[in-house]
Amino acid sequence: MVVVLLPSLLAREAGGEGRFELEAATVREALRGVPVRDLLFDERGELRSLVNVYLDKTQVDDLDAAIAGDAEIRVVAAIAGGRG
Amino acid sequence: MGVAVLVGTRKGLFVLTGDETRREWSVEGPHLTGWDVFHAMRDPRDGTLHAATNNWVYGATAHRSRDLGKTWERAEGIGLPEESELTWEKSWHVEPGHADEPETLWLGGTPGALFRSRDGGSTWEPVQSLLEHPTREKWNPGAGGLCCHSIQMDPSDPQRLYIAISAAGTFRSDDGGESWTPKNSGVAADFFPDNAFPEVGQCVHKLLVHPARPERLWQQNHCGVYRSDNRGDTWERLEDNGLPSGFGFPLALDPADPDAAYVVPEEGAENRVTPNGRLGVYRTRDGGASWELLEDGLPQQAWQSVMREGMSFDRLDPVGIYLGTQSGSVWVSPDSGGEWLEAVRYLPTILSVEAAEWS
Repeated sequence: MVVVLLPSLLAREAGGEGRFELEAATVREALRGVPVRDLLFDERGELRSLVNVYLDKTQVDDLDAAIAGDAEIRVVAAIAGGRG
Repeated sequence: MGVAVLVGTRKGLFVLTGDETRREWSVEGPHLTGWDVFHAMRDPRDGTLHAATNNWVYGATAHRSRDLGKTWERAEGIGLPEESELTWEKSWHVEPGHADEPETLWLGGTPGALFRSRDGGSTWEPVQSLLEHPTREKWNPGAGGLCCHSIQMDPSDPQRLYIAISAAGTFRSDDGGESWTPKNSGVAADFFPDNAFPEVGQCVHKLLVHPARPERLWQQNHCGVYRSDNRGDTWERLEDNGLPSGFGFPLALDPADPDAAYVVPEEGAENRVTPNGRLGVYRTRDGGASWELLEDGLPQQAWQSVMREGMSFDRLDPVGIYLGTQSGSVWVSPDSGGEWLEAVRYLPTILSVEAAEWS
């Protein structure tokens, strides 16, 4: 079981739901299983550059690395100090 | 009948509503919090609200609401094909299609691209003919990116429409978007010292078709204000006759008077602020032969900016003109520009205003 946790803006876009439980073999598969996949990935399938992903509290470098057993994936927008 | 002003800001969408007098306004919102609303409109064909929305992390998309903003749906899968080697960067403007095509909508944006929806905004297909336009390599992005910001239908012909891209120029399609012809004859591109009148590369800031005389087009350009009386085949430059500057962004028309137009000049490209330390709207009623300053009610000590989508007009008599400033005020003239009222202040940076019928 993989749990994907979304920040509030994405949760609103997902119909008010910020927590999704699903089965996935990789982080990429898990992120593609939530209803805001188009906001996480661009049309080339690349993770948007300011979207950070954590797997069990460790930042993910390789979206295609295998997930072993239960896991928690957290989506975090990059910090934007200075933006208006 | 009531009137609404959809106000797109850097922090969501606000809706101002009032009655036909257009003197008292209620403010509702923000909707779409977290999104930069570059433009929003109410489709007069079915009442649906549509918004061109962008987020600095999550990209560019479009939203619609079928219940006047209570709930919103996001279009999914807006993207450019891999062979174009382009990716969708910003949604700038959403426009209803022709009245004969009630499910058709158009969405323009960066990088100089256009999408068409044939299902009321659920799904969007890129307009391939524009992606493959033979002049594309001569287009250059302006300060806002290579943005397709103006989309105008010809109400007399469902096959004819116009777009404007900064800085590529005006294009006309006579075949429903299958092909596009540059329409920039007579429009200056002074920033090209070697050729100030190229086929393409002009920096249009806003393009409008007159709804009652569709062969007449107006444009506010980086290099002047222009009018065309032959569907864009040729253009006439209209300054040095009362305008303090040819530089500006927004444009408004009067549906009942094809000779009338409204602009908000700025000092120039290097100092993008209203001239003479005041907020002034300039109106012509003789096709651009002369312009007069409208200032009754507008601040006399002000250094303001109004973005390209920051002015709109309604369909009432006399026409109402609406103006949204980057400093967050919406100014309304209920009488064709004679008097101006501040409908709201202290909104976030205003990116767009669009008047709509509201009942």
